[in-house]
Amino acid sequence: MNPVIRVAAEEWRYWRRSRLGLAASLVIVSVLLASALATWRQVAIERNQRAELQTTAENIFYDQPARHPHRMVHYGHYVFRTPPPLALIDPGVDEYTGAAVFLEGHRQNSATFSPAYSGPHGGSFVSLSPATVYQVLVPLMLIALGFSALARERERGSDLLLLAAPMSARGLWLGKTLALAAAAALVLLPLLAAVLSATGFALDGIALVLGYGLYLLGWVCLTTSVSARSRSSSNALAVLLSVWLAVCVVLPRIAASGAEVLLPVPSKIEADLAVAKAMRELGDGHNAADPAFEQLRANLLVQHGVDRVEDLPVNIRGVVAEAAEAEQKQVMDGFSEAYAQQEQAQAEAVRWSSFLSPLLAIRGFSTSLAGTDLAHRHRFLVEAEQARYQFVQDLNRIHASDLTYTDDIRRSSDAGAEQRTRVSPDNWRSLAKFRLTPDSLADRLSRGMPFFLLLAVFLALATGLGITARPAGVR
Amino acid sequence: MTALVRELRFALSERAVQLIVLIAFAASTAAVIAGIEAVNDQQALIDRLVLATDEERAVAVESASDPGDMAYYAFHLTFAPPSALAFSALGTRDTLPWKHRLRMLALEGQLYESDVGNPELSLSGRLDFAFVVAVLLPLLLIFLLHDGEAGERRAARHDLLRVTATEGRNLFTVRAIARSLLLLAAILIPFLVGAVIQGVGLPGIGVVLGAAALSLVFWLAVCLLTVRRVDAGPTCAISLLGIWLVLAVLLPAGGKLAARNVVEVPQGGELLLTQREAVNDAWDLPKPATMDPFIERHPRWAPYSTVSRPFEWKWYFAFQQVGDQAVEKISTELREGIKQRDRLMGMLSFLSPPLLTERLMTGAAQTDVAAFQRYEDCVRAFHGGLRSYYYPLLFEERPFDDSAKRELPKFSPCAQDSGR
Repeated sequence: MNPVIRVAAEEWRYWRRSRLGLAASLVIVSVLLASALATWRQVAIERNQRAELQTTAENIFYDQPARHPHRMVHYGHYVFRTPPPLALIDPGVDEYTGAAVFLEGHRQNSATFSPAYSGPHGGSFVSLSPATVYQVLVPLMLIALGFSALARERERGSDLLLLAAPMSARGLWLGKTLALAAAAALVLLPLLAAVLSATGFALDGIALVLGYGLYLLGWVCLTTSVSARSRSSSNALAVLLSVWLAVCVVLPRIAASGAEVLLPVPSKIEADLAVAKAMRELGDGHNAADPAFEQLRANLLVQHGVDRVEDLPVNIRGVVAEAAEAEQKQVMDGFSEAYAQQEQAQAEAVRWSSFLSPLLAIRGFSTSLAGTDLAHRHRFLVEAEQARYQFVQDLNRIHASDLTYTDDIRRSSDAGAEQRTRVSPDNWRSLAKFRLTPDSLADRLSRGMPFFLLLAVFLALATGLGITARPAGVR
Repeated sequence: MTALVRELRFALSERAVQLIVLIAFAASTAAVIAGIEAVNDQQALIDRLVLATDEERAVAVESASDPGDMAYYAFHLTFAPPSALAFSALGTRDTLPWKHRLRMLALEGQLYESDVGNPELSLSGRLDFAFVVAVLLPLLLIFLLHDGEAGERRAARHDLLRVTATEGRNLFTVRAIARSLLLLAAILIPFLVGAVIQGVGLPGIGVVLGAAALSLVFWLAVCLLTVRRVDAGPTCAISLLGIWLVLAVLLPAGGKLAARNVVEVPQGGELLLTQREAVNDAWDLPKPATMDPFIERHPRWAPYSTVSRPFEWKWYFAFQQVGDQAVEKISTELREGIKQRDRLMGMLSFLSPPLLTERLMTGAAQTDVAAFQRYEDCVRAFHGGLRSYYYPLLFEERPFDDSAKRELPKFSPCAQDSGR
């Protein structure tokens, strides 16, 4: 038998003999799997509910009776954010991102009802999703299993015996690493199964598993490397646990707090106030006589060669409403884009900390590939805004073309005019169905790539640390 | 006593102890600074928003020619200011709303707008003092104490120490107490400085000190019991870490999952859709369909409830109110569900000291779910006040002059036990 394999096999035998460690690992793994499964179920239910609500909202809109088109602008519509399939593995920011947006004229509303709104709070981790289990807890298990792999031999002096046989220090390290890597691979199998059942045999899922494989292999090598370089197992354990604590528990929080303090994001209400102020200056689109639209009115009259708005072939109220909405959109987009950029800047600041914390690197990679990162939230808001603008302007154009101005201005006092300003419900059908599709694979892969490289660097460093460990004899 | 002083001196001269105490001090200082920064930012934001909303409302009030106009265009800012202790436990303030821009429209359509923090940051959580006490303190204590007896055993001093020391076996207990006191001091000093800066009163400080002491005593006991039973340092460390993992991570996370599954809450989307239907259908319904359920709830306005024109403000605001009435049941269920889930977490916290510590601290800092629900109640009460102000003007058509305008309620945060 190849001596490296032999060492690995012996390490497995050692674990089998130490029943306590094995039992503890088994218990931990099964508890973790159970809670990960429960989270999976939770997200699956959430996905279905939101998809159902989306269909309900659409049917309600289509079923509205004949109405004045501007009434439908204010009646509005709801769109729901459906998590992508891989959210079952890594829900990412889902917990804290609003699931529903109310679309209406003249306003960009925020997304409401994040799962956290009604969810229970407390504890140091958001949830035990499959992602958190693999990111935070499996490394801990690997440390517990492997910290003594080489340090133990050194304490007993048995390494000298081994090295007397045809076995190099590097080969010994490799064997021990192989043993631990096999354990990691075993633990990775449920993830592979979960990914396959979530997406089938798809590139994104496979890439996701590869990323986790790289990350866990990094921890495997780090564990055996530190073990190889430590004077005693208790030293090795102290170092490894400190690293785990810093990387998985403390650094992410420091990064988040730092980003928040250094790059503050203004409040949505601040933006709302500024938008309201700008809108007051733009003019009220409900009032065709608002002086802000004088130029538009004059142009229309000239264009159609008439003197009075009553003689125009279009309803000036609809034209003004459309023009006002377009101007308002520009103002609101300015604010929402700036807001998204500032949020993104905070997230970037946290991601830069990936250089120090492989946990942040794998989290970045995992949420990017699953499509559950901040970009997903922003794309939802952008697509919701597109849907809003499209249906509002469709209705405004109907307002301009299908209604006469004379009826429109008299509809509050004249019942006949009121009836004539109602347009057929067929028009509501123009509302497009809203389905938030996952980001394109290319987008997700390219967002995830830098994190993948960082993980590769982590693995390389951890490996380097192991193969350069001096042979024990030269202490 | 002399034994304790001796052990304190001895601990201070040990490299490992120095390092861990230094880490604790640094983490606690960073947490306190970050907490104060975050709270100051929140307060500054509130100040800016109050100013801007007041300015905006003044314009709306000034130009309003009738009460309906004013009710429609005048916005109010509602908010829950951070308590003096909020810096020590930021709690749910980055995930649950504590400020709203509101007007007289249906409340249920406005209450759930949530202007909260960056979700990607919430995913990591924040570094605050509560985290240091509830999560880091036990870990650092485990680092400090796991090798106590085993280390001496390895150095072959264990038995010698036991027979020669006047305290006998107690020596190791005294040693552990000395070390944990050092750790506690390193963690508490930055907090005390922060508390003085933020002007926290003695009762507030007392609760936090109590929570920290509780956490320390519990983990000290766990460490001492484990160290005594387990011979090898690493095995001991792993056992302790396993206990920490179960208590600090698995129980809270499992509890959250369980609470979600045990207590069903209505879906937010369902509430929103129902509320919108109720409000918007009113436009097409005959006026009595709105006014009857309104009068049923507010019989006082029955004599003024005839609506003769196609559009009247009193009818408009009546259907806003009826819209709220239509979702009262769902909304109450939602609130009760949230309360119930939180109560379950409270019960669970008696099994998980880290969770208990966290809840004690966020409770004292008024940054927990209960404080969030009190804020929502406060918003409801203020909105109710707006209605009581506008309804006489809208229904009885009382004279709407400058003196009537001056009576417009102004929001002030509900009195909380501020911890000052």
